[in-house]
Amino acid sequence: MLIDINAYVGNWPFQQMKYNTCELLLDRMNKFGVDISVISNLNGIFYKNTQSANEELHQEIRSARKFSDRFIPFAVINPIYAGWRDDLETSVKKMGMRGVRIYPKYHDFGITDPACIELVKRVRDYGLPVAFEYRMVDSRQRSWMDIDYVVGTTKREWNLKDILPIVKAVPDAKYMILNYANAAVLTPDEMNLVKTADLIFDTSGRTITNMSEFLKLYGTNKFAFGTHSPILDYLTGQLRIESLQPSEADERVKEQLRSGNAKKMLGLS
Amino acid sequence: MPGSSYLISRREFAMQSMVTAAGVGLATQLKAESVGIKNGIFSGGVYPSYNIMQEVRSYRKIDAYANAVQTPAQFETQIRLADLLNIEKLITAVPVAKTMGSSREEIRAYNDTVANILKAYPGRVLGQFTVNPLDSKTALEEIRRCTDLGMIGMKLFNHVKVNHPSVYPIIEKFISYNMIIHIHGESQLGVGGYRMKYDVKNNPGISVPEDFIEIAKRYPEAMFQYAHIGGGSDWEYACKCFTNQPNIYVDTGGSNNEAYLVDFAVQSLGEDRVFFGCDGSFYQGVGKILSSDITQHQKKKVFFDNYNEVLRKSGNGIN
Repeated sequence: MLIDINAYVGNWPFQQMKYNTCELLLDRMNKFGVDISVISNLNGIFYKNTQSANEELHQEIRSARKFSDRFIPFAVINPIYAGWRDDLETSVKKMGMRGVRIYPKYHDFGITDPACIELVKRVRDYGLPVAFEYRMVDSRQRSWMDIDYVVGTTKREWNLKDILPIVKAVPDAKYMILNYANAAVLTPDEMNLVKTADLIFDTSGRTITNMSEFLKLYGTNKFAFGTHSPILDYLTGQLRIESLQPSEADERVKEQLRSGNAKKMLGLS
Repeated sequence: MPGSSYLISRREFAMQSMVTAAGVGLATQLKAESVGIKNGIFSGGVYPSYNIMQEVRSYRKIDAYANAVQTPAQFETQIRLADLLNIEKLITAVPVAKTMGSSREEIRAYNDTVANILKAYPGRVLGQFTVNPLDSKTALEEIRRCTDLGMIGMKLFNHVKVNHPSVYPIIEKFISYNMIIHIHGESQLGVGGYRMKYDVKNNPGISVPEDFIEIAKRYPEAMFQYAHIGGGSDWEYACKCFTNQPNIYVDTGGSNNEAYLVDFAVQSLGEDRVFFGCDGSFYQGVGKILSSDITQHQKKKVFFDNYNEVLRKSGNGIN
């Protein structure tokens, strides 16, 4: 069984997206053997009122039984925008959202902003995960209208050290850290935080150049299949798992990566 | 067809039967899914109706952009990943840095690194040397020395732009060899890109697509490879630039594996001018081509045939 913990529908305003509706994503899933996808609406990154994007996603999923069978929706919440607490409650209780994606850089707040901490705590109290992205696109080819966290400049792309402060601030929440990019040497305390927190990475990110080394470094319980579709290609995240040799990951470990770790994070087992 | 097996899978049947009729809220349906999982109903799943490794193994591959990393252990890791992904040949040169050494000794040392890897992996690795065009005497000597060592192409870095007059005699020499000239190019915001908004400390001598166009028009009988459209370049920009220039090829190398990159390259340049490349990002290198919507025949060409056709022109084709 294969669960993709990092997929989207919706639009990226700077580049045409393919496979960015539930229908088109489901076609990809069927073609490439993916059972379930955790999805959010990309539009939520760009709408000031993110709840409009959550409503769009909810309506699209409700439009066909085959969608509700195969997609697990996450809400996009901006904790510095009016009404976010109500939006969170509506998303979880009425729309059935099973987690929350948070975009500090795009929504322009610090990752340990009190509002962000409150949001993470509220999601934690629902027993649901929060998801943060290292980045959405490669900044080297970003649009001139995109955010200006740029590789090679003093305002660089994020690495894990930039995300860990929220994990430290709310250590008992559940975290999905997605699209792994940019190497960082962690201190022993930081590594301990990663290992002890209820936290998983997905397999979509560019920095995972040697999957077996990452499994050794963080542990086999810290990764789950992800695509970052429709922005990234649909198979690289899967290839990182399936090309592992038996000496690097036996079938039990591969099942953890394909779906086991995701099920635990999503409360599906 | 992989998808069709899903349509009759046990899981689908179970879920269709289990989830209640229209009008039931999504939360209720998700609850039903949880019950299904609890009862083991998901265990049938579609997996492994698509066997990615079988597809990986079905294509021969030449990596048109491999890196002669500095230590034997590092290169061994590359070979191991290439083995896993059924990559037969690695076209290898010293990786580019923001600035490259320019003295005769430094250039020779780069090329000796490649030569040592060729000796360590005979037949598996095909070598590309580099030269400093500003030192034309040494450059021509290195071309002779390295081709005598069996290297099959050249990679130019950022000492000067590819259309600088100092490169002309080198290109002319390469035309006589029928070998491709691989050049590290950029097209992004910042120095070396299409808008000078950010200084990301790139060498101003780095070539941009417009430089490639100018030199390719000057030497229509030469072959140029624009390095790694997945390496941070704006690949849409680069491919659109090269659409009408038939002697410019691109490789798909680089860590960036955006979903439509390969389709767009083939659509813009045609199916003959796109090479498979990794630039050290092996998973992305293979994944972006496999997942594209180009035909199986086109994938075969991109993975292997197109670069092999270039090698054949210099008598270095692979059977």
